[in-house]
This record gives sequence, structure tokens and C-alpha cells, in this order.
Amino acid sequence: MEEKLIEFIKDEFLDDPDIVIDIDTKLISGGMIDSFSLVSLQTFIEAEFGKKIPAPRITAQSFDTVRQMVQVINQF
Amino acid sequence: MISIKFFGLIILLLVPYWLIPKQKIRNVVLGIVSLFYIYTLDANALWVVVALSSFSYLMGILIGKNPNQKIPHIAGVLGVLGALIVFKYLGFLEATLSSLSGLIGAFPRFNIKDIILPLGISYIVFKHISYLTDIKWGLVKPGRFGDFLLYSSLFTIFVAGPIERFERFKPQAEQHRIPFCWTNIDYGFMRIVFGMFKKLVIADWIGYFTAPIWQNPHQYGVWMGLIALLGYSLQIYFDFAGYSDIAIGTSRLFGFKIMENFANPYLAPSISQFWRRWHISLSDWIRDYLFFPLSGFSTKKMWVMFFVPVIAMALCGLWHGAAWHFILWGVWHGIGLSAYQIWNSIKRKNKQLAKATKANWYYYLAVLTNFSFVTLGWWWFR
Repeated sequence: MEEKLIEFIKDEFLDDPDIVIDIDTKLISGGMIDSFSLVSLQTFIEAEFGKKIPAPRITAQSFDTVRQMVQVINQF
Repeated sequence: MISIKFFGLIILLLVPYWLIPKQKIRNVVLGIVSLFYIYTLDANALWVVVALSSFSYLMGILIGKNPNQKIPHIAGVLGVLGALIVFKYLGFLEATLSSLSGLIGAFPRFNIKDIILPLGISYIVFKHISYLTDIKWGLVKPGRFGDFLLYSSLFTIFVAGPIERFERFKPQAEQHRIPFCWTNIDYGFMRIVFGMFKKLVIADWIGYFTAPIWQNPHQYGVWMGLIALLGYSLQIYFDFAGYSDIAIGTSRLFGFKIMENFANPYLAPSISQFWRRWHISLSDWIRDYLFFPLSGFSTKKMWVMFFVPVIAMALCGLWHGAAWHFILWGVWHGIGLSAYQIWNSIKRKNKQLAKATKANWYYYLAVLTNFSFVTLGWWWFR
């Protein structure tokens, strides 16, 4: 799950292929993606993992790193 | 809200409230007092609160029993939204249709002047929509009716929010007993004092000094107009943030922790961050129940990057009042959010630009630009 999320984030939001991200990279607070991108992440998670995460659970705080995303996804 | 009645009620209620041993009974007492307070302000609002709460509570139970079925959720949301439309927007709708002279014959006429806007209806409807939707999403379960009625009517947050979520309120209300602690009382009074200072000293004085310019704008030049606009920008912040402080503080006196509503919004370096710091309970609501669902309609860039922010913010403007200038204020912010998304995508593609935006000077410039944008936007709002 982590690899797929990282791959999607790199392809979708990061135009620089040299940027390396891991599961603890601060994506939103680190300025790599903006909070508008969370909508695309919600759509991707639903399509890829079959889980619809309600919007109140997808926040700049709860989705700041891939590790946090996985924790939220596993709650549903 | 800042009245003898409001604070008198708090002083009279505070000691007996904390002497009650069970939270369940405290909630009933607080609920009755809240309904009484609403009745003294606006008798119509009392019946609207009771009727809407009963309806939403029943719909919540139905939705909870069948979370996979769409109909109970849609019916519930349309029901509460219908009340808002009838009480708040029917007059606006008729006036708009009347101005489209060619169409008016096709629409029925209503005696709109007889419909009085009940106090707090915009807040209660948004609270109930989030309640029903959160049940559908499995984030919260319906609790006791008394707790839900208290959530809908709690007099400390009834008139001016914040738009608290039932998900946060319920665990507090369902405690066996919220423990009394002096820290809460200290904190509550401190927030009330801060709030009063923001509202009565800063906001009201700014209003006092800028009022002559707004009353006769043609007597003053463009620069004085801009100063008045700057004054309004500060006034509306201190006014509303002050109310929120009082609401949070008075709720804390009764042991309830209500969500924060402001976090230095004018220091935000972007319009996106501004909306994460300004009227947070409303902007979170717009994000969760409008922005995300609207974005799901299409993955087309134009839709996601332009139409969704503009529509969501236009509706946010309409929530503030049934008038075109509120909608235009919302559109202004929607365009700002859209431009910010485009700017971000340009930044991501340009390494040099991305590096420049990490400099200190860029940050300060961004704060200033954003503040100017928001302040100009208040021209529509006012």
C-alpha cells in the first residue's frame, strides 16, 4: 500500500523525478503537495484499495505523511 | 450575545450546573436553559430548533440503520436544507426571479414578507447536515435525543457558532460526569475577557472611527476609502474572533471543549491557508460536505481547479446572507483559491521558482499579498 501511494504521489503531484520521498516525508507541511491534492488522493485510494475515506478524516494533519495515510486507510 | 441576559444566565446556572452529579441530568438542564434563552430572543426560532432537531434525530436513526441506502440521507439533508431555503432564501429567490422579467410569469408568487428568518437557522442547518452525513459515513452514531437537542441548541454557540461537529460533542456529553476543574473555569473566563476586548474595544472602536467614511464615501477620497476597507477588514476579524472567544469560553465554563474558529488568519501566506485559519468550523464544513463531494463529480482539471472552488465558495458566500454581494464575495475567494492551485502547479514545474518561494522575503510578500486580497474581498461582503 505504501509503495503504491508513494508512486501515485510522485506521478501525480511531484514533477521533479529527483525528489525522493519515503513514508515519513512531510508532504503537506513540507510544501510538496497542497491540501487540494487530497481530493485526488481520496479518489485514488477508493479506486486502488476499494476504501472510501470520508472527507473529515482526510485533513492536512491526518494525511501529511504516507504512514499517516495508511493508518487512516486501515481504519476503514 | 453580549448582553446582561446571556451573562446573567451563565452566572445563575454555573453553580447549580456543577452541583448536579450526573452529566446526563446536567445536559437536560443546560438544554432547557438553552431553549429558554432561544425563546427569549426569538420565539419562532425555538419551534424551528425543536422541529428540526426532532426531524434530524429521527432521520439520523433511519440512516444509522441503513447506512448503505442513499434515500434516508438524501431525504434528511433535503429536509433540513428545505427549511433553510424556505426561511432564508425564498425572498431572495423571488426577488431574483422578479428581476428576470421574462421568467416571472412562469413562477408562483409567495407572500415572502410574512416569512421571518428564525435566529441561528444557518448554523443549525449546517450542524444537522454534518450530523446526518457523518452518520452515513459511519463516523458517528446517533446518541440520546437530549444530547442531540443540546448540541443543536447550546446557547453559548447558538447565535454565532462555531459550527461544532456532533462527533466531537457527543463523547463529551456522554461522559458519566465531566469533572469539575478550576482550570476550565479560569480558561473560560480568560477567553471571555479576551473576546470582550476584541469585540468591544478593538472592533467597535475601529467601527466607530471608520463609520463616517462608510456613511459618506463620496466626501472622502480613494485613499480614505482604502483605509476604511482596511479598518473593516480588522473590524470584522476582531468582531467575529471576539464572538468565537466568548462562545468557546462560556462553553468551557460548563466543561465543553468547542473547536477553535480562528488561528491568526491574516498571517496566512496563501488563500488556501487563510481558509484553514478563518472561520475554521465553516471552512472545514465547506471542505468536507461541499468541496470533496463536488470534486467527485468529475476528474477534469477545469472542473476541479476552477469550478469546484468557485461554486463551493459562492455557496459559502450565500450562507452568509441571501444577497448577490455575498455570492460575489464567495466567487472572489473561489477565484483566489483556483489561482492559488494554478500557481502551485506552475511552481512544481519550475525548480528555480520553487526555490525562490522558500526565501523569507517571499513568505512576507505572500502574507501581504494574501492580506490585501482578502481585504479587497471585504468590499463585496460589506
